[in-house]
Amino acid sequence: MELRYFIIRRLLLMIPTLIGLTIIVFVLMWSLPHTFLASAFINPKAPNRAQAILTAEKQLGLNQGIVFAYLHYLANTLTGNWGYMTLTTPIKFSGTVLSGIGLFFPNTIQLVIFAAILSIIIAIPLGTYIGARPNSAADQLGRIFSLSFYAIPVFVLAVVFQVLFGRGVIKGNPLGIFPISGTFSISAVNVISPPSWLVSGVGGVVLSQPTHLIIFDSLIHGDYALAANAFMHIVLPVLVLTLSLLAGILRFLRASMVDAANSEYIKTARSKGVPENIVVKLHMRRNALIPTVTVLGLLFAGLLGGVVLIEDVFDYPGIGYLALSTILSGSIFGVLGTTFLFGIILITANLLVDITYAILDPRIRY
Amino acid sequence: MIEESALRSNKTMEPKKHSRLENSTATLRLFLKNRIAMIGLAITLVYFAIAIADAVYPEWLGVSNLSTALNFVPGHIANTAQPSPPRFNGSWWYWFGTTYSTMPILPLMLGALRIDLAYTVLIVFVGMGIGVILGSAAGYFGGIFDEIMMRVTDIFFSLPFFVFALAIVYVLGFSFDNVVLALIIIWWPTYARLARGLALETKSFKYVEASRASGASSFRILFGHIIPNVLSPVYVQISLDLGSIVQLFASIFFLIGSLGQSAYPIEIGYMISGGLSYLSEGIWWPVIIPSLFLLVFTVAVNLMGDGLRDVLDPKLRR
Repeated sequence: MELRYFIIRRLLLMIPTLIGLTIIVFVLMWSLPHTFLASAFINPKAPNRAQAILTAEKQLGLNQGIVFAYLHYLANTLTGNWGYMTLTTPIKFSGTVLSGIGLFFPNTIQLVIFAAILSIIIAIPLGTYIGARPNSAADQLGRIFSLSFYAIPVFVLAVVFQVLFGRGVIKGNPLGIFPISGTFSISAVNVISPPSWLVSGVGGVVLSQPTHLIIFDSLIHGDYALAANAFMHIVLPVLVLTLSLLAGILRFLRASMVDAANSEYIKTARSKGVPENIVVKLHMRRNALIPTVTVLGLLFAGLLGGVVLIEDVFDYPGIGYLALSTILSGSIFGVLGTTFLFGIILITANLLVDITYAILDPRIRY
Repeated sequence: MIEESALRSNKTMEPKKHSRLENSTATLRLFLKNRIAMIGLAITLVYFAIAIADAVYPEWLGVSNLSTALNFVPGHIANTAQPSPPRFNGSWWYWFGTTYSTMPILPLMLGALRIDLAYTVLIVFVGMGIGVILGSAAGYFGGIFDEIMMRVTDIFFSLPFFVFALAIVYVLGFSFDNVVLALIIIWWPTYARLARGLALETKSFKYVEASRASGASSFRILFGHIIPNVLSPVYVQISLDLGSIVQLFASIFFLIGSLGQSAYPIEIGYMISGGLSYLSEGIWWPVIIPSLFLLVFTVAVNLMGDGLRDVLDPKLRR
């Protein structure tokens, strides 16, 4: 089968999963008191509150039974009518759920991009190196490293890093050079006349133009001092995220390299005189990457949980922090919206993993 | 955080085809020879022994009421006396220093361990009970029930479980029991998948056919033949899951603590979050010491689980 057809089939298979996700989020919503739902759905500053609540009841289909209410929920979700949220702690925000997500999502993307790239460029060569030399000193070191970082709870790692490398946590610590919270320091920006591409948002969230990713935007606009400042802020969260992801990838890549090394085709390749370098890179690694890629999707599910914890420890205004804030502020539709968003991210990640899998292993397409 | 999901991938464990006794003694011997796994097992057993001691004879800790001992959460400081750093010259109580309300950390931590381990075991076994019964039934009966069960577990696997657990806790209301319930809800599908695969295999064994031919009811076959055969690989999965659940459990209470919610039984993740706000004053021990305590346990459980998997995976025996 051509890759194109595989992708189309895989996209169609996504539909039941997406429906399942909406059903679960809907059930979470439906199990809450219904009178509460309509008043949470509306803009709290609506001029005619009673009227707005009536409209919301109609939009949510609250009086039409569970089936119709689900269909209403589905329609609202698809049309981007995710409701309002009013956040009080630790973020101050009032607006539609989608606009809130738009404010916080770029920060998380920034974090995940760096962590994913960093862990993949480290893990693949390192895993190939140690996997090709099982039981060597390098392998033992690698195993100890990956096992311990694999077993550390993410929040523990985050807190330890904050203590060891955070600026001002331990007095006189020469390693403490990194800021421990936020995305950049206010002192790095000219507050009196902020640059026009830096639009000040609510709750300390600053939206920069055009990409919304503060590091890239400040580079684009030539504000290198701000870029460096923002970069220093993400070093610690990215490092924690990278280490926990790296440990997982390394563990599986090493195991599947050892598995591949024991197979007949490697013996054949060696006995017919293929150079060792090619045996390792072309025969062993390529086959070892296949199971590793499968695990990557599952590791990503864990990564999303890690994002919530890391953003909490580092007060980093991303969607994990937003999700926590919605819970803390008691904003129902904020909680449901962020849960749905996390589901969508994971489903998309799994789609990408499967496509990569099909590219690496053509047998999958049949 | 990442490992929970990774462990879920371990769904295809093959039941062995040789005689059971011969196989299990060989396995045991191999496991006992694995020195690293034995260290892991020993540490895990020590932790469980402490937890059992807490449950049987709580007075040994010398803390009369553990649940009120946690008043050092920000905003609930009863006593603002300066916490003392670790010192090894006095009573064992103060070896690891004290918290802000001058509660000694070591006995608090040992007491907290009971809550962590007791609820972890509860979550794993209730999840296992639900998962094994539903999964085995799905595998055994097949048909539409199987189809529905598998789609349901598919959906659960496509959810980011940590965020999902938080959402469940929010909807049910913040309470200790609801956290436990949420973790059971997100964790049972792992076992359902595993049990279903094993039940499919067991179904075709001769003795199951013989039992059916002699007129045994489906109920009897399911509970008498299928489930007992499904259980032993599931136990291995459990030993792998213990570390993950402890982490997940501690992570959720860490978040709850850092969100400023209080009035929960003392728990390690919660203890850690309680010390966070004093980090900037250079008071590191209320955070770092419980963290290391938790870390040693999760590493030990993983070492033990790895060893078990090594001896039970025939491919690695070569």
